[in-house]
This record gives sequence, structure tokens and C-alpha cells, in this order.
Amino acid sequence: MSALSRSEGLIGIVPILALLLLWQAAVSTGMAPPALLPSPLAVLARFAQNMADPAFLAHAGITLYRLFAGFLIALALGVPLGLLGATNRGVGAVLKPLVRVLAPVPKIALYPALILSLGFGDASKIVLVVADALFPILLATYQGAAMVEPKLVWSARAAGTSRGGTLFKVILPATLPSILTGSRIALVVACIVVFLAEMITSTDGLGYVLVRAVRNFQTVEMFVPLIAISVIGLALNGALALARRRLLAGFPDED
Amino acid sequence: MSGALLRAGGTLKPGLPPVFACLGLLLVWQLYARTLSVGGIPDALSTVRELPTILGDRESLYDILDSLRRMAIGFAIALALSVPLGLLMGRSRLFAALVNPLLMVSYPVPKAALMPIIMLWLGVGDASKLLVIVLGVSLPIIYHAYQGARAVEEKMLWSASAMGMSGPARLARIVLPAALPEILVGCRTGIVLALITMITSEMIARQSGAGNILFSALDMAQYETVYAMILVISALGILLDVAFEYVRGALVGWSEPRHDLAPIPA
Amino acid sequence: MIAISGVTKTFQRRGGGTHLAIDAIDLDIAEGEFVSILGPSGCGKSTLLYIVGGFVAPSGGSVSVSGRAVTGPGPDRGPVFQEFALFPWKTVLGNVAYGLREAGLSRRDADAKATALIATVGLKGYETFYPKELSGGMKQRVAIARTLAYGPAILLMDEPFGALDAHTRLRLQNELLQLWERDRKTVLFVTHAVEEAVFLSDRVVVMTRQPGRIKAVVDIDLPRPRRRDELLLNPRYQRLVIDLERMIEDPPEEMRA
Repeated sequence: MSALSRSEGLIGIVPILALLLLWQAAVSTGMAPPALLPSPLAVLARFAQNMADPAFLAHAGITLYRLFAGFLIALALGVPLGLLGATNRGVGAVLKPLVRVLAPVPKIALYPALILSLGFGDASKIVLVVADALFPILLATYQGAAMVEPKLVWSARAAGTSRGGTLFKVILPATLPSILTGSRIALVVACIVVFLAEMITSTDGLGYVLVRAVRNFQTVEMFVPLIAISVIGLALNGALALARRRLLAGFPDED
Repeated sequence: MSGALLRAGGTLKPGLPPVFACLGLLLVWQLYARTLSVGGIPDALSTVRELPTILGDRESLYDILDSLRRMAIGFAIALALSVPLGLLMGRSRLFAALVNPLLMVSYPVPKAALMPIIMLWLGVGDASKLLVIVLGVSLPIIYHAYQGARAVEEKMLWSASAMGMSGPARLARIVLPAALPEILVGCRTGIVLALITMITSEMIARQSGAGNILFSALDMAQYETVYAMILVISALGILLDVAFEYVRGALVGWSEPRHDLAPIPA
Repeated sequence: MIAISGVTKTFQRRGGGTHLAIDAIDLDIAEGEFVSILGPSGCGKSTLLYIVGGFVAPSGGSVSVSGRAVTGPGPDRGPVFQEFALFPWKTVLGNVAYGLREAGLSRRDADAKATALIATVGLKGYETFYPKELSGGMKQRVAIARTLAYGPAILLMDEPFGALDAHTRLRLQNELLQLWERDRKTVLFVTHAVEEAVFLSDRVVVMTRQPGRIKAVVDIDLPRPRRRDELLLNPRYQRLVIDLERMIEDPPEEMRA
């Protein structure tokens, strides 16, 4: 995105507006009955209304809590594991086959097992988020650390840095771009997983708001949590892009 | 030279170690369930013994096969739509600028969560489930086709147009093969995603399929079945991944194998 | 100062077997001497340098520096690589000050010393730039300053000017020579460019390929300080260049297989 000029960024609004107009037209002309497809204006109005509703905000807050708790745990596990796996032969030999086996497992299928051992509360949802967010971070860190130019490490070693010291002074900063890429993916994943877990079994959170609307056949209400999660995802993505610009000032540009 | 030799090796090679990893994980599970014997967690052995019961049952086997059929069709449709779209984005800045924000907005939305709404429109049949799978799979394939097409060397296209190749021909005969390794990275994610979307939508729709078996068993407290289904679905994920790696090796053996960093569930 | 005795290095081949990269290298380098290792690509000359640096362990033989066996890298041997290997997340100042900070200097002292060194290599005013904002020649000046900063007695230069354009290359050769004339460090310089080796060195070690062995050691008995324009007209210089070029001439492709 950063490579796009301002005008090109604006062009992107056109299809979104067109889609909204098409949607509005379909409702206005009576092609789609409002019970099946509410008008976008009605949806937006409800969204605005909900943004001022403490109950709705509480649901969003719970979703955010689970999302961040899971993401941060995944980060705290994934980065050290990835760094160690890439720099230590023994750890790598154990880690690589485990990742190869566990990465393609659809983690959502583990959710029933998590419910059985951790209950229906926050814990099972957070662990599910960890399970899904861990692999993008772990893989990105591992690949980034494995690709660090050995001569960077050598230069530091020659300048007097100890072998262990290079892990923090060279490998970690050199891997930072990959870690941020992995984190960006993990955040999107976390948004999606926490929402789905809340849809499957929950009494609170944005996913639950959607399920409740489905049960009560409130079509307008169904769209609101979907918009909310999209906005959350966009905001997190933007925050991370900002962090990237700050932290990676010296690295080559990447979008 | 020395750099490449000294490096730890950035790729995850298939072979025996993953098999050991599977056995190791089962062993850990067995020991965990045995020593702690926490409320209702069956051990690995009794779960494995449960497998023939599930896979031998005509109805559940058909359910699972039906799920797989939908998944394959959904994946094929997504592939047919996403690859041209992504390639076009990669070759036209304007087109990319048009489409990109729309994709970014829809990225964090769980596609399986659209199931209730889509079911309102299309009913509970195949059409809804297929549409959700198509939606779920498309984004990573579009994204990687886009990245792949963007990285195609300009000079290769210049020589092609100098030879008199038309625009669409260049896209199909130069850009597509050049972007193929990258597209396949997207496909790998797509396959895992298709599986996830399939299961989740079945969990939500509760009509039929593997996801339905899993959650119905949970509701009826048939814990052996729950764990056995988890095993079946996990194995499906791993097997699809392995199968894909073979196909990839056959198609683009010349490019380095790469694990995608973006397994986005839908 | 540097004693290399019987050093060999074998690499594991992908898919089994071993590859003998360098074989039984014996070489002694005196303090303050400028020695170049000259050879075709793939002759293992860089590997030899990495072994002296302690970055790569030899498969056989040993290296000692000032009588102490080399077991790993140390600030007595400063490397300069063809790829610059600057820390991309640090500014010019941060890169040059790195070794000083590792040596325990306070931030202020390290920055002051680094700033002075940056001026020495002609990059005054670029302290806050990131490596990505510099040209190749400037990057290599930063890399040299980063290494000089922690005061190594020995410089290990791995084709340091190989990635630069011809013009920048000549300028940096001159500047390196000036720096060397000033503090006479021991230099081990790897290159495949004959004229560069002759211009800079006291001795040139010629290596063969597969396996890498020492073919000849040639004394460069040209007077110092050297000036490039004078040397080009010097028949002794011309003779040395021609002899060395013949020595490293590769047999044609089809004869090698």
C-alpha cells in the first residue's frame, strides 16, 4: 500500500462505493426483500447506534481481550521458538517436523477438545487463538532468522560480541521485518478465529452478537458485528503498518 | 557459497522426521491422558481404536466424503476466479489500486461467519456451503497471484511483445508460468483454508458433513467420537498438505519449496 | 604474526560426499605486512580468510595469531566483506560505534570516536543516514570505519571492492593504501583482480582451484609509497602483472571437467 500514491489510494474507494450503491439499489427497487437483505443505510445506522451502546461495546471489548491475549501469548512463544529453531541445531531438529505436522492441521477442529479440557470460558478461546496465531509468527521468525546474512553475525562477533549476545544484538533485529510480517498475518488470523469461536459456543463477544441476531432473525443486526470485526482488523493492520515504519526505518521498503 | 553451506537450512523437508513427530505427539497425548486422567479426555490409543467405527460407518463416511467433494469443487471455482484476477492486478497498477482496498476490508472478516446470512439467501444446501468455501479460499490465492505477477521481469514481457504476443497471450504464456511458484504458495494456504472453512461452516449450519459430526458428538457427550473426528480432520489437513507438496514439486521443482506464512483461516 | 599451518577445509556435499575446498595451506604473515591472496573464483581463498577470522573452523591444521591459537572471532582481527554486511537497522554512526560500545565505551565516548572516524573515511555529514541510503562505495567506507573503530591489529579483507564500479574501486584502493601507510596494520586481502593485488601488496599468494592450494608466493618489490599513475609506467609493475595473470589463467572449460 505504501507504494501507492494518494490518488491511487482514493481510486480504491470506487468499487466499495459501487458495491454499496448496487446493494442499496437492489433493496430500493424491491429486488431483495429487506428481511433477507437490509439496506446498507439501515445497517450503517444500526452500526452507529451500537457504537454508542455500552452493551455492544462490552461485547467488542471481550472479543478484543481474547484477541490480544491470544496474540501476545503467540508472540511470546513464537518469536523465541523461531529464533532458537533457526540458530540451534538441536531445537531446529525437533521443531521443524513438529511444525510441518501441526501447521496444516485446521486448529478450529481442536476447539471441541479445548472446550472439554478448559471449559466454555475465555481460556479455551484464547488457547485457540494462540494455536492459530502461533504458526504464522513462528514460521516467519524461523525463516527470517535462518536467512540472516551470516556475515552480519561474523561482523558482530569480530567486534567482540559473544555468541549468545549475537542472538539479541544481530539475529533479533535482523529478523524484525519478518516478525512484523508474521504478526500482521497472525493478527488477522486472531480476528477471524476469535469471532468463529464466539459464534460456536459463547455467551458474549462479537461472534455471539451475530449468532443472537441469527436466532432472532434480526437481519440488520447480523451485519453489525461483521463490520465491527472488519474495522478492528483494519485498525490493527494500520497500527502495525505504523509500527513497521517506526521500527524498520533502516530496512529496505516493503509493502 | 560458504553462506549457503553454513546456513541452518530454511526449508522444511518432508521425510521421516514428521512421522516421528506424529508418533511423538500421540505418545505425549497418551501419557498426558493416562497420568492426569482429567475429566473425560480419552487417551490416544482408545481414540485411534475408535477410528474404524467412524470410518466404517456408512453414513458418517459419506458425510465426510461429501464434505471433501464440496471442498474440491469450491477450491476449483476459487482457483479459476482468483488466478486471473490476481494476475491482472499484478500487471495493472490501476486495477490493483481499484481492487486492493476492497480485499483489505474483507480480509479480517471470517468468511464462515457469513454462513448464516448466505443461508438466508441460498438455503442450507450445497450452494451456500460452496459459496462460503469459494470466498474463504479466494483471498490468499488472489494475493499470491498478485505478488507473483508483480515480480515478473519487465524485460521478459518486452521480448514477448516484440515477438508480437498479444496482451492476454502474454498473461497466459509468460506471466502465469513465471508467477506459478508464488501462486502455488497461495494454493497451499487455500487448501488448508478450504478445509477450515468447510468444517466451520458445517459447524455453524449443523446440517451434515465432518464439522457437523464433530459438534453433534460434543453435544451428545460422545467424547471418543469427538477426539476421533479431531484426529480424522487433522490427518486430512496433513495429508492434503503432503499431497500438495508432491504436486508442487512436480510442477515447479525448479523453485525452492516454501512454507507459506499466511495460513488465514476463514 | 599470523601462522597458518596445514589448514584444510572439506565441506559436506548436498546429497552425500565431501568437497575438498582448501588443502594443506601453510603461510606465515609478518606484522605490518600487506598480503593478498589471489586466485580464480571458487579456489577457497575466502574460506581461508574466514578460517583466519575464526568464523569457520578448519577441518585440519591450525591458525595462530601472535602465538595464540585461533578458536573463534576476536577484535584483534577485523573483517571487511564484499557484501559490506552493515547492520541495516543502525545508522552510519550506530554501525561505526558498535564495536566501541561492545568494548565498553560510554555512548558519548563511542559516538565521539565514531564521528571522528566517519570523517576520516570522508563521510562527514552522513552520520544519521541508514546504510540503504548510501551508495556501494559509501557503504564500504562505513564498513571499513566500523572495523577500524575497535582497533584490530589485523584487517581481513574479503574482496572488499569486488562489488563496486571500476571508478569507485580505484578511489577506495588509493584511500586504503593511504590508511595503511599511516598505521601499518597487518592486512590479509582476498581478491581475484591481479592489478589490485600488485598495487596494494607486499606479497601475493597465488592459489589454484579444486582443491585450493598455494601455487606460488610472489614478492612485490615495488617502492612505497605507491602512486597508481607512476606504477602503470613502471616496467617492473607491468612484468609482475603479466606474470601473475599468466599464473592464474584458467584452463578452458572443456579441459576442466
